[in-house]
Amino acid sequence: MSDRRGLLAAAGTDAPGLPLVALVTEGQAPLLARPFFAGGDPGPIVAALAQVPELLEATAPFLGAVLGPSAVPIRTKEIVVLRTSARASCRYCVETHTVVARDIGLSVTEVRALRGELDASEVFAGIGDQAVIGWCDALVGTGPVRPEAKAALRGCFADHEVVELTLLVTTTLLLNRFCTALGLPTSAGVLARLAAEGLA
Amino acid sequence: MTALGGAIAAGTIGDRVWLYSNYHCNLACAYCLTDSSPSSSRRELRAEAMVAVARQAAELGFEALGVTGGEPFLRPDMVETVAAMAAVLPTVVLSNATLFSGDRLERLRPLADLDVAVQVSLDRVEASANDDLRAPGNHARVVESIPRLVDAGIRVRIGTTLDPDAEVSVAEQARLCALHRSLGVSDEDHVVRPVVRRGRAAAADMGVAATVCDLPPELTITVDGAFWSPFGPTVREGRLDTDLLVTRTTDPLSVPAAALARLAEDRPAGDDARLGIR
Repeated sequence: MSDRRGLLAAAGTDAPGLPLVALVTEGQAPLLARPFFAGGDPGPIVAALAQVPELLEATAPFLGAVLGPSAVPIRTKEIVVLRTSARASCRYCVETHTVVARDIGLSVTEVRALRGELDASEVFAGIGDQAVIGWCDALVGTGPVRPEAKAALRGCFADHEVVELTLLVTTTLLLNRFCTALGLPTSAGVLARLAAEGLA
Repeated sequence: MTALGGAIAAGTIGDRVWLYSNYHCNLACAYCLTDSSPSSSRRELRAEAMVAVARQAAELGFEALGVTGGEPFLRPDMVETVAAMAAVLPTVVLSNATLFSGDRLERLRPLADLDVAVQVSLDRVEASANDDLRAPGNHARVVESIPRLVDAGIRVRIGTTLDPDAEVSVAEQARLCALHRSLGVSDEDHVVRPVVRRGRAAAADMGVAATVCDLPPELTITVDGAFWSPFGPTVREGRLDTDLLVTRTTDPLSVPAAALARLAEDRPAGDDARLGIR
């Protein structure tokens, strides 16, 4: 470790409500990070990762591949992300993906169920949805994964879908802890949407 | 030849690796890129790390090293560190030359037998104009120190940094050249460049604005990571600029070197030649 005392450069804050690290701005974006800022504000996850541009360059395509369009329907993927984030108590991800979930067609009731405010088994009737929600619940935490959750998932999905859904849950957990640890801020636009829809 | 070696040989990236040994300085020059001063935090590269960079640079195909700061010779281990680096590749050390007397000068003598040059900052031929930018008495100290270094057998280069708004006349520049010749420094060892509007110079509204396209890509290693050029790791009002950061990873050196070469391949032509930035 090197002596960097006195340098304000990368300093964020441990003050409540503020991110732990400085979020890189477009004007200070490192060279490898500049493409991620070309389309405007890339959001706080990218702005934080830009502190280490070589990691951003490697991580962003990975996250895009895991979270973006793929062989698994987007509705199923959003169920996974919101449910996992809620179980992991990640404020940033829950708030942000509540809006994403609404945008891709999940109802307010479904969103509330995924967030744990309603009984998901009563709101989601489909066996596939229930298996996915059970898989999220099983993977959040430590120790062996419940056999019933495995059986339910295997009963509904092919091997490649099981792999993708599992990577999606675990990648979401990675992001949940990253965002929670760094205290990343939810955008004003998302907070306004949550308030407007009674989901704040 | 490796792809990186090819990029160096082709001039896509510079053949010299720069190292910021430390950020503290006994001066506080008006245009300092790194906002250095006696009160700056040291933020030193460890000596072993600097020598390791030298060895890896040679293995990757780089042909020269440069050390800058801050004032490198404020570090008591600098002579030994530079000697170890120069055993690997030719090394130039940038210095304000205000510390070279008595025992400190004696300690420099081993560098005379190595491929080392000390590049001393001397900006104006008139003491008052020079000292306005650098420090009271700086001109006199530098003019005293250079012959001592030359007499000790150490190669000396002079770096002149000009404020483009100062309108230094051709006649004055000629007198500066006459001065450095009289001190034993040849024309080929005199480097003239403009103040670049970064760091303290930007805060003082001095110098030429330069984008990444205007700055020759020269791998620059600091305690904060690897940068596009020695004009990259600038500090303004206590905050490090990251707009010219390449990678935080510096070891192995191949990581930032490869990233720099990749970035340089895509670089559009800039104004570095016209602006004389080097």
